[in-house]
Amino acid sequence: MTSPRLLVGGALLLSGVAVLAIGFGSVAIAPGDVISILARQLFGVDVPPFIQSAGATSIVMELRLPRILAAILVGAALAVAGGAFQSLLRNPLADPYVLGTSSGAALGAAIAILLPIGCVAWELGGVQLAAFIGALASVGLVWRVAGIGSGEERIASVLLVGYAVASLLAAALSLVMLASGANLRAIFSFLLGGLDGATWPRLAAAALPLIAATALLALRGRALAGFLLGDEAAQHLGVDVRRERRIAVALASLATAAAVALAGLIGFVGLVVPHLARLAVGPDPRAVLPLSAIGGALLLLLADTIARSIGVPVGVITALIGAPFLLWLLHRARTGYAL
Amino acid sequence: MQIDPSYELIGARNVRVEIGGKLILDEINLKIGVGERVAIVGANGAGKTSLLRALSGTLPVASGEVILCTEPLSGLSRATIARSIAVVGADLVLPFATRADELVALGRLPHGRGPSGPTAHDRERAAAALERVGASHLAARDVRTLSAGEKQLIAIALGLAQETPILALDEPTVHLDLKHRVEIADLLVSLADRARTVVAIFHEIDMVRQLFPRVILMKSGRIVADGSPESVLTVARIAYAWGIPPERASRL
Repeated sequence: MTSPRLLVGGALLLSGVAVLAIGFGSVAIAPGDVISILARQLFGVDVPPFIQSAGATSIVMELRLPRILAAILVGAALAVAGGAFQSLLRNPLADPYVLGTSSGAALGAAIAILLPIGCVAWELGGVQLAAFIGALASVGLVWRVAGIGSGEERIASVLLVGYAVASLLAAALSLVMLASGANLRAIFSFLLGGLDGATWPRLAAAALPLIAATALLALRGRALAGFLLGDEAAQHLGVDVRRERRIAVALASLATAAAVALAGLIGFVGLVVPHLARLAVGPDPRAVLPLSAIGGALLLLLADTIARSIGVPVGVITALIGAPFLLWLLHRARTGYAL
Repeated sequence: MQIDPSYELIGARNVRVEIGGKLILDEINLKIGVGERVAIVGANGAGKTSLLRALSGTLPVASGEVILCTEPLSGLSRATIARSIAVVGADLVLPFATRADELVALGRLPHGRGPSGPTAHDRERAAAALERVGASHLAARDVRTLSAGEKQLIAIALGLAQETPILALDEPTVHLDLKHRVEIADLLVSLADRARTVVAIFHEIDMVRQLFPRVILMKSGRIVADGSPESVLTVARIAYAWGIPPERASRL
């Protein structure tokens, strides 16, 4: 079957792009040098060409590597969370950003950052925790108002409720940050997303929930596959619907929260990538979610590299790529096929 | 394989179901054995779909007991139930483009574990199920572009891929034209054998008379009659169950 081959190919492509992205920047470093530095610093192995100036090593290890890793982990988390939400809600337009999950996480994270214990909170994962609580609260609100699980939910109403909640929380986020004296640029970079703040300590605080939630969610495709046919049919296919929905929502919220706490509000990755995966391997989440992880990592890494080179928040780039893609998807859906 | 004829594949003992305080099913008693072909008939709102849901464990019972393959349903896991009874729903609505063979392979979900799949064996079973309903030529088509009759074939194949001793269907011929109704009905007759029991909700009384050796007639959440079509579908009972004048019912 094609899925494992695509996964291996995707992982290799991702590694290659990561090496190029590490070398890319105001101080350009050749790919060979990047590999040499990484092999030496990470694995203690000497690989030619062995040229390792202290400056290049410090740029690679201190400045670029954490940012590139953050882009990979955040992209994977958002794409897998988006794919899971789409399967769970049977809704091609669902993703953490559209449903307000990201905004909830952002508000939680902002409150934690702006509390007087801010710095300590980062170290202890307090921001992650606050973001997770915010994400769960917003998911709970959207679920309740849209009547998900009651058997009466409507696709449009879920999206409208998500939109309302997302707008409300984004406004509250701006108010909270303004009231606390944060400058507009800081607020802007959080609302539009950015990986500028991805330093080693922050990455370390986010890495465990990011990796664990994303991996566990990507491995829950079997349960999510049943939901493609609806809740009732999922039960007939042996899925414990209430239990699996709770687990999937919790994991998707945790992945989103960890991603948002690290990188702010980045849209479209969770929406677009799972659809690309479906075009390649069909709708079964067992194939879609792992491939989405690789695809999301690749997309956000590329978008962040472009964002770095022209100095804009990465959310601007993902929107510039993602929004036209979404329009194309909607157009195709209207003309008869796909989504 | 020898199967004990007294083996109770589906049973209900004084089953009562309430939703939000409203009585949906009451005093349901029945026993369905191996290889039977049973039609459930009745007016809209008589409780036919609720009965299927109670028997397959998606509608909790307020009191009484449902038996599935000789065991109390309440003690079985969802996966175990899904390996015993496949339920083919009334319609198939899919959120994403889905090939018919991909969809039918989802019928293998209760038979596997772990994150990977569908396996080569699952695909093989799915292909066999598609062939059994005569829909192999639709394997690569997007299910959402199929006609209502073709969709129904795919839905039945999905149920067959579950490889359960019981196949339950909720109005399998609704919205279909005459040709497809006849096709589906003939298929259901051919599917019921010693290894597979078929229970179906049906609206067409004439078709039920011809095809089902046993008929369960429902009204207002209760079983009114249960037996051969001749004994169950009398003019008086039809008139009573559907609320139509006897002189009109005699012409059905």
